[in-house]
Amino acid sequence: MADAAEVARRYQAAAARRRWILKAPALLTILLASFGPLAVMLVYSVMEKGNYGGVAFGQFSLDGWTAVFFKYDPFDETTSLVVANLTVFLRSIKLALVTTIAALLVGFPTAYFIATRPAESRSQWLLLITIPFWTNLLVRTFAIMGLLSNQGLVNNALIWSGVIDKPLQMLFTDGAVLAGLVYVYLPLMVLPVYASLERMDFRLVEAGYDLYATRWKVLRHIVIPSCKPGLIAGSILVFIPAIGAYVTPRILGGGKNMMMGNLIELQFGQGRNWPLGAALSITLLAIVTVALVVYIRNTAGKGGAHGH
Amino acid sequence: MTDTPRTSAIRTEGLAKTYGKGSSAFKALREVNIDIAENEFFTLLGPSGCGKTTLLRLIAGFDFPTEGQILLHGRDIAALPPFQRPINTVFQNYALFPHMTVAQNIGFGLKMLGWDKARIGARVAEMLRLVRMEPMADRATSAISGGQQQRVALARALAPAPKVLLLDEPLSALDYKLRKEMQIELKRLQHETGITFVFVTHDQEEALAMSDRIAVMNRGQVLQVGDPRTIYNAPADRFVADFIGESNLLTGRVMGAAGPGVHRIALDWAEILALGQPDGAEALVMIRPEHVQVLFASTEGALPATIAETVFVGTETRLHLRLSDGVAFIALLPNADATSERLEQGRDVWLSVAPGTARILGGDHG
Repeated sequence: MADAAEVARRYQAAAARRRWILKAPALLTILLASFGPLAVMLVYSVMEKGNYGGVAFGQFSLDGWTAVFFKYDPFDETTSLVVANLTVFLRSIKLALVTTIAALLVGFPTAYFIATRPAESRSQWLLLITIPFWTNLLVRTFAIMGLLSNQGLVNNALIWSGVIDKPLQMLFTDGAVLAGLVYVYLPLMVLPVYASLERMDFRLVEAGYDLYATRWKVLRHIVIPSCKPGLIAGSILVFIPAIGAYVTPRILGGGKNMMMGNLIELQFGQGRNWPLGAALSITLLAIVTVALVVYIRNTAGKGGAHGH
Repeated sequence: MTDTPRTSAIRTEGLAKTYGKGSSAFKALREVNIDIAENEFFTLLGPSGCGKTTLLRLIAGFDFPTEGQILLHGRDIAALPPFQRPINTVFQNYALFPHMTVAQNIGFGLKMLGWDKARIGARVAEMLRLVRMEPMADRATSAISGGQQQRVALARALAPAPKVLLLDEPLSALDYKLRKEMQIELKRLQHETGITFVFVTHDQEEALAMSDRIAVMNRGQVLQVGDPRTIYNAPADRFVADFIGESNLLTGRVMGAAGPGVHRIALDWAEILALGQPDGAEALVMIRPEHVQVLFASTEGALPATIAETVFVGTETRLHLRLSDGVAFIALLPNADATSERLEQGRDVWLSVAPGTARILGGDHG
């Protein structure tokens, strides 16, 4: 009879082992995919730069990190702030913020529109939203270039209608980069906001009207708080890739309106300064982390407990 | 028999609602004329899809009528948006705002009306007291029970002191005992606040227990309006008789008048006296199960029947019987006397109908 307990214990031990074995691939993937690259970056950022790119392993140096913020002039032996880098940081933050706000302003009504269609036509509207994803990002960005260039569709239309008499310089400006970013990342706002609106009980809207709330007040006091998780998710999904965007600022901003992605790429390419590139990457990561923490703290605090 | 309302709170005139157009059009409401008195507990009763919820939504302003008028104290409100109507609703699933506390929910309407904070606070406290939820003020709406959510929904709708309170099957999500409790609670609230209640339900028992008057609806039409006793004792037609309570409906030949408002009706095996005015040579007669007496010997005017099944339901015994022509018949007998023990299956019995209880119904004899 004592054997029964023994068998049960052995069985449980075997089950526990099996669980770990089954979990292992997922854990390993998560570990490698999320921490692996970070570890590589961290190591690269504290090495001496190699002569033809890469790093000189074993030669520890903080030059990469110093170069993020300061530059040393060997002639007058002074150290000064790298204004160019800071300008790029600020431009990236500003553009990513404005992109997020613009995507919110355009994406929310779009998502609301889709969520209030009859159930059977909603999937068709969603399909329309995702269609741009079917085309390569590069191709779409070049298409925007075609629209905004001096002989592009927009300028030609404006000249033809007599609003202006010589082309406006739209390409290679922050405005062009912004337009490109909003266009590219808009679906990332629409989809999570739609998901949250779709789950919302629209009787709450009726209850709001019933309790003397006008349309605007229903939107402010009921709809927006109800879909806050979607708005937060959408903002994060737009802000993060926007701040590190590479293709859009490269093509639509020309050489001069760099964002952090371009600055980082420069270090790994022409600059042949991998430690600086790695340090800049980690700086970008830090900016994103800080921005997220601040954002989530500020949005989760208001409006009290939220049903999920 | 129907009271004449003193002052009318809500009156509809030729109210109709059609969804869709052309061949796919669906007439949810046709020619609804009702007159709900001030301070009345008025119930819209009918099966699902009968139009009662549509009517409620038109009164609330969530939908707009295709035709007709809705008069609130004589003023046509049919075209006003819901936030301009002094009417509040208790929703079927309460529709409490999940991102607000109990107190914030109750105060929402007042806040939207632009009341100042101190006044809102006082009114919310008063409402919490009224529905006996004082200790729950700061709870999240997800952290209270269904019955409590119900009370919050009521308090929220009553807080702005609406002229009319609409209740859309508010008790349907509660279990039996809680429902009984809330029925009494609702009546109490209606008395204390003096507000006109328009209550929608498909539960006839609930309707009979709570209402001052009931409008029975089917297929977008109001079939009968009356107080519970009238509706139960003198249903206007076959549908109302069938829907409210249980009834045995038998068709017979009209043999002639037996007195003022009483006619002799010949059924296949016996002749009975029934109240009401037949509109032809044939008449549809309603006999309520509780008005039937079971006899164990043949008697003049009694219907012969056989017991098909006996169901003991506590205070009563339900008898499923077959009349000699095979028609099903139900009788409900109190369990007070010893006769209930003699009601075994297959036994032949005679059914006598209590005098003055059988009724001739108007409308179709189908």
